[in-house]
Amino acid sequence: MPLVSLFSQAHAQNQIDFARDIRPILNAKCTGCHGGVKQAGGVSFVYENQVVNFEGDTGNPVVVPNNVDASELFFRITLPDDDIDRMPPADEHPKGLTENEIALFRQWIEEGADWAGHWSFESPVSPELPTISKDQTARSGIDHFVLARLEKEGLKASPPAQAARLLRRLSLDLTGLPPSIEELDTFIADHAKDPDKAISAAVDERLARPAFGEKWSTMWLDLVRYADSRGLGQDGKRNIWPYRDWVVNAFNDDMPFDQFTIRQLAGDLLPKPTINDLIATAAHRNTQTNNEGGTDDEEFRVEAVIDRVNTTWQTWGSITFGCVQCHDHPYEAFHHDDYYEFMAFFNNTADSDLKNDEPLLQVPNDPSKWEDAARLDREIRDLQTRLWKSGRKLSQSVSWTPLAFDNVSTSNNTIIENEVVDEQHHFFTKGTVQRGPIYRLYPTLPESGKSITGFKLTVLPTDTEKALKDSEWGFEVSELEVELLDEKNEVTKIAFAASIADIPFLPHKPDTLIGKSGNGFQAWTRMHHARELTIIPAEPIAPGEKTLRIRISNKGFLLGAFPLVIKRGYFEVSSDPALIAFAKSEERSGLTKSLTALQAERKKIPSTTLPVMAERHTSITRPTHVFARGNFLEKDKSVTAGLPDSLPPLSNSKNPSRLEMAKWWVSGDHPMTSRVFVNRIWEQLFGTGLVATLEDFGSSGEKPSHPELLDHLALKFQNDFAWSVKSIIREIVNSSTYQQSAKASPELIERDPANRLLARGPRNRLAAEVLRDQALAIGGLLTEKVGGPPVHPPIPTGVWKPFQAGDKWETPKRGEENRYRRALYTYTKRSIPFPSMATFDAPSREFCNPRRLQSNTPLQALTMLNDEAMTEAAAGLARRMKYDTEGTVAEKLSAGYRIATARPPSSEKLSELVGLFEKLEAQYASEPELKKGMAGTADGAAFTIVAQVILNLDEVLTK
Amino acid sequence: MNPETLLKELHQRNLEADTRRQFLKTCTTGMGGFFLGDQLARGAATPQHEADNPLSALQPHFNPKVKRVIYLHMIGAPSQLELFDYKPELEKLDGKPCPQEFLEGKRFAFIQGTPNMMGPQAKFKQHGDSGAWISDRLPHLAKHADDLCFIKTMNTDQFNHGPAQLMVHTGHAQIGYPSIGSWVTWGMGSENADMPGFMVLLSGGRLPRVGKALWSAGFLPSVYQGVQCRSVGDPVLNVSNPAGTNSEVRRTALDALNKLNQSTFDEFGDPETLTRIAQYEMAYRMQTAVPEVMSIDEEPESVHEMYGTEPGKESFANNCLLARRLAERGVRYIQLFDWGWDSHGASEQTALNRGFIDKCRNVDKPISALLTDLKQRGMLEDTLVVWSGEFGRTPMRENRGGQEMALKGRDHNPSAFTLWMAGAGVKAGTTYGETDPIGYDAALNPVRVNDFHATLLHLLGFDHKHLTVPFQGLQQKLTGVNHAEIVKGVLS
Repeated sequence: MPLVSLFSQAHAQNQIDFARDIRPILNAKCTGCHGGVKQAGGVSFVYENQVVNFEGDTGNPVVVPNNVDASELFFRITLPDDDIDRMPPADEHPKGLTENEIALFRQWIEEGADWAGHWSFESPVSPELPTISKDQTARSGIDHFVLARLEKEGLKASPPAQAARLLRRLSLDLTGLPPSIEELDTFIADHAKDPDKAISAAVDERLARPAFGEKWSTMWLDLVRYADSRGLGQDGKRNIWPYRDWVVNAFNDDMPFDQFTIRQLAGDLLPKPTINDLIATAAHRNTQTNNEGGTDDEEFRVEAVIDRVNTTWQTWGSITFGCVQCHDHPYEAFHHDDYYEFMAFFNNTADSDLKNDEPLLQVPNDPSKWEDAARLDREIRDLQTRLWKSGRKLSQSVSWTPLAFDNVSTSNNTIIENEVVDEQHHFFTKGTVQRGPIYRLYPTLPESGKSITGFKLTVLPTDTEKALKDSEWGFEVSELEVELLDEKNEVTKIAFAASIADIPFLPHKPDTLIGKSGNGFQAWTRMHHARELTIIPAEPIAPGEKTLRIRISNKGFLLGAFPLVIKRGYFEVSSDPALIAFAKSEERSGLTKSLTALQAERKKIPSTTLPVMAERHTSITRPTHVFARGNFLEKDKSVTAGLPDSLPPLSNSKNPSRLEMAKWWVSGDHPMTSRVFVNRIWEQLFGTGLVATLEDFGSSGEKPSHPELLDHLALKFQNDFAWSVKSIIREIVNSSTYQQSAKASPELIERDPANRLLARGPRNRLAAEVLRDQALAIGGLLTEKVGGPPVHPPIPTGVWKPFQAGDKWETPKRGEENRYRRALYTYTKRSIPFPSMATFDAPSREFCNPRRLQSNTPLQALTMLNDEAMTEAAAGLARRMKYDTEGTVAEKLSAGYRIATARPPSSEKLSELVGLFEKLEAQYASEPELKKGMAGTADGAAFTIVAQVILNLDEVLTK
Repeated sequence: MNPETLLKELHQRNLEADTRRQFLKTCTTGMGGFFLGDQLARGAATPQHEADNPLSALQPHFNPKVKRVIYLHMIGAPSQLELFDYKPELEKLDGKPCPQEFLEGKRFAFIQGTPNMMGPQAKFKQHGDSGAWISDRLPHLAKHADDLCFIKTMNTDQFNHGPAQLMVHTGHAQIGYPSIGSWVTWGMGSENADMPGFMVLLSGGRLPRVGKALWSAGFLPSVYQGVQCRSVGDPVLNVSNPAGTNSEVRRTALDALNKLNQSTFDEFGDPETLTRIAQYEMAYRMQTAVPEVMSIDEEPESVHEMYGTEPGKESFANNCLLARRLAERGVRYIQLFDWGWDSHGASEQTALNRGFIDKCRNVDKPISALLTDLKQRGMLEDTLVVWSGEFGRTPMRENRGGQEMALKGRDHNPSAFTLWMAGAGVKAGTTYGETDPIGYDAALNPVRVNDFHATLLHLLGFDHKHLTVPFQGLQQKLTGVNHAEIVKGVLS
């Protein structure tokens, strides 16, 4: 086979390299039974301490360094084939290990049985630049590595690409748009004078354009599974586009990748977070929610948290951490518990599987208001906390007396009873709970005759112990009233002065209890813990002869099925005058007034809502448990936040927060983060990563084709460039390697079909988004407007049938700017992917999408030829040829060809185009009806079809 | 090198890479252990299609009994208790509170607390020589009783529609995995070079809630995703020429395009360019083939009569006839979805005593016609027809929000539902598995969705354990990571 051997095989005469020589054999022949999942005989070749000097079930040490004879492993692999103790077992491996493999094991043990982690778990070490022969010229470190490798393979680098082609490659790669004719002319002239200077100027200029962020955001949005809808179930619209704009701006502002990381994973936990820091956290609010009726909110909240864990590891580590959800990793050094310890970092966020996407941030539409808004939000929060704290402290310090009931009843089929538990008089529901019951509780009046100055409601889970593990559906006190009834049953309502919940920030204010707005105190949507609400009447209540009645309305229900009803609770009362004094104190009313004023001021700033991350209050934290076999209904032991032992530890290992976890990825000690990101950039530019399996840096992924080059770039990125994304991209595109011509001889294609050795420049089909944007640019239609809500360009008839009829697709008319926006602004609905995007391999973004697989299909041809966006673009290019270009038909066609490909056509190609034009013009002239709906004249029609041919050229679809 | 030589060369290379696979194919014994743990062999079982045609017909692991599948999915989960799973015991319990033992450890979508039991809401009779129980809701289908092979004990672990439908079609409850049709066309290609190998037809007025995810190619190349045929607009997206272009103009344009692309290939030597030329040619052929197959009005009146078709409308009947026409032309996997079977009883439309009756009427005659038609044409010999929902329904009457509702309905029941197959490779006139006396749980011979997948792949000539692709650290397969068993009892 004439295929290149990319990864050199073992060389027995050299020192054994465990990762290179031994681990592949273990993974291929041993870990199936002695791995992470199955650990036959207690032996696991994933972990050093279950092999080296470790006695398995046989009682003999598996491997004893420097002692082949004492090593059970060696004994077993060298047994004859017919011995039943021969390893690997004969039924699955009839031939056993090869002589060469056995020799490698012998040498490894004799040399001391050094165990090494998989390459991606070991920190990169700055490699020396390899020397290259004198007749080769290297522009940068990159070229040294590539050229040295080519020399070894007996290959030569290709000459530089022609100026025009290079500018097209740079423009498409850096901005996702083709160069204009003016840019081409200038560049070609400059290039003729000083190629290096012209190229580096062109690079810098493109890196500075807003279009740069628009292009590069796509790869990131694939990873964080950005979409404008909620996914699963109903897939309703989600307003989350400010995050998409945040990513675009972050690339454009060259936000260092460490900051980029920390903000997205934990921007909310930064001291004094800005609006920008908070918007970033929407990265992990792109998880799907299931709003289908009858779905278990907890099940899909857990799904979302699991997705955050998997996406984080995939995005920053290129590690298939998801495997550990159900069991120890089959071949990486991760334990089952590691998964849940990591999950604990994410498990305490305030969001749940809800349609309303709470918690939400009000993002001011005008970025110049962001600072004001952030300050107001902070002041509001501080004031709320102050107000809450003083009330809460008081409630906890006054004495409370249990309140007994003479009678309890409900307004519907829900059955409610009362009983005494631990001296408290519980009211509780029995049997089937019907939606929306109103409870009427008739307290036994306190004998003391003291008047009442406060009520305290405690709501309990039905099973307090079990709820700590498996949360129960929550409740919602939509209204709570206390009434006095006289003997004629005339009702007097008691006015309240304050209500104080047990946590400061409820999604809906408990204060609304005082009025009757319907949204009150609640555990939304699940409860692990008992919850408390204190209510203070405006005046002390002295019932005297009258009957006291408490009315609780439980209107809430979720997803068509689940009533949010108090299932068990009790009341206490207090007679402490301090409560009313507090409720009516000047300090409190002053604070309340300031709060109202601040809130009013904040409301004046026009804003759009955005789902963001926020932590739950410490008093109602969610405990995290290991899920047996990954099943959330089967909880095992409880765990706290932590990281796998196989990776560098956190600086603060006691109670680390999500913020510390975020910083850990970009600490500079992490062996994966920088390599992974540099590899993604490389793939964007060359079509294949240095590690081809972008999604897997683990031991089942591919090894790097140029390991030293990967480490060189990774260290440069995190150290020399201080995580500057633009700098690392500049470094790569300024290399000779990148700037080579893409032409390849049949011999080279045969030798290296996938261009892994880089003896030629990159040539790949353009991404779905770039294809559309380029066509619009060539047709002179593209709107260069950055950011804003998603848009609805033409979509083929019959496609848009959303499950929620209210989600309308309103296409702007021809000529309107939002019809021609860049593809990244198209409304991304997960259940109805935009057809032309899906056809060209854009993912529908339900999950982290680490790599797009390129296909080449007839549906792509149909899209390019017949889709409305493409026919409009062809008409646009036809107009540019017919009206905007002077000269003969040949000159016009030549200009059109150059607009699309950056180069004038060869005379051969031009005569093909002219021949096509003439044939078509004659046909349209002889059949005047045919051009209807496309063009007014025969030559106009001919220009349109030729334009279509040009837009479909392989050279146009490819960079 | 001229293009033909290069194509041949590419083909040759694929064949060489294929040798190992050929070896594995012919060596069917002891393969399991061979693959297990042998990570170097990863990708060895990857189907190798011709370089310029990712849908070229391939031989699966062994000789298949089934060459193509027509899958009829009643979206929303039709009640087995009103159609096929006759339960006289349940009749006796009608109106009585559900015994606690049935409720313990169960999760429901809408039922609250203690619901009441509800007897069958249709009359049942035994049909044919096989004596299969079929209710009077499906009088036409009942005549085919001896063609059908029932599995009464299908069960799933998903009790919400979206995840359960994904489970049926992709073997996973999350979005993002390849559907059965994608696996099959990836593994066997198509018999028709002018059409996609996996086509999807919808009726019932709405898209299934997870939409395209049910016919997605997941992490397989996108060429294997299901192509939706539409009754509104283009039958296949963008298959029609735009205004001002007829097929002669298109031919002229493509001839020029091919020549220009050919010279690009001569200059750059990129094999993808040649594949592209081939794809543009297939697109051109599809532009004729697709509208032709979709024009059902050319069928004789007797056929329209039999199916109850009305050309030009979106209907399940039309889709059944289309399914036959697609099957005739060698389309590998034909998926029909009919929306509107979620019989909760929360509205007229979803009531077992209202809308459900209409739904049954709408599908009964067309399904029966499809079976008759395929049989008459001898196509039932190598075509498999499958009918199912995504889960079953409870023997309890739904009491949404904790109260009895005016109309009659049943809640979701993942523990038992009925699926039937007819045609190639399956035992006609049989019933496999038995539910408990109230039709709530699979009592005898339960069949999980993954078992069904293993069986379906087996019928198509695949060992489900070896139709795999590496993704996210796992050798992914339709049947997932848990053990799946071929249901031998249904194989003929």
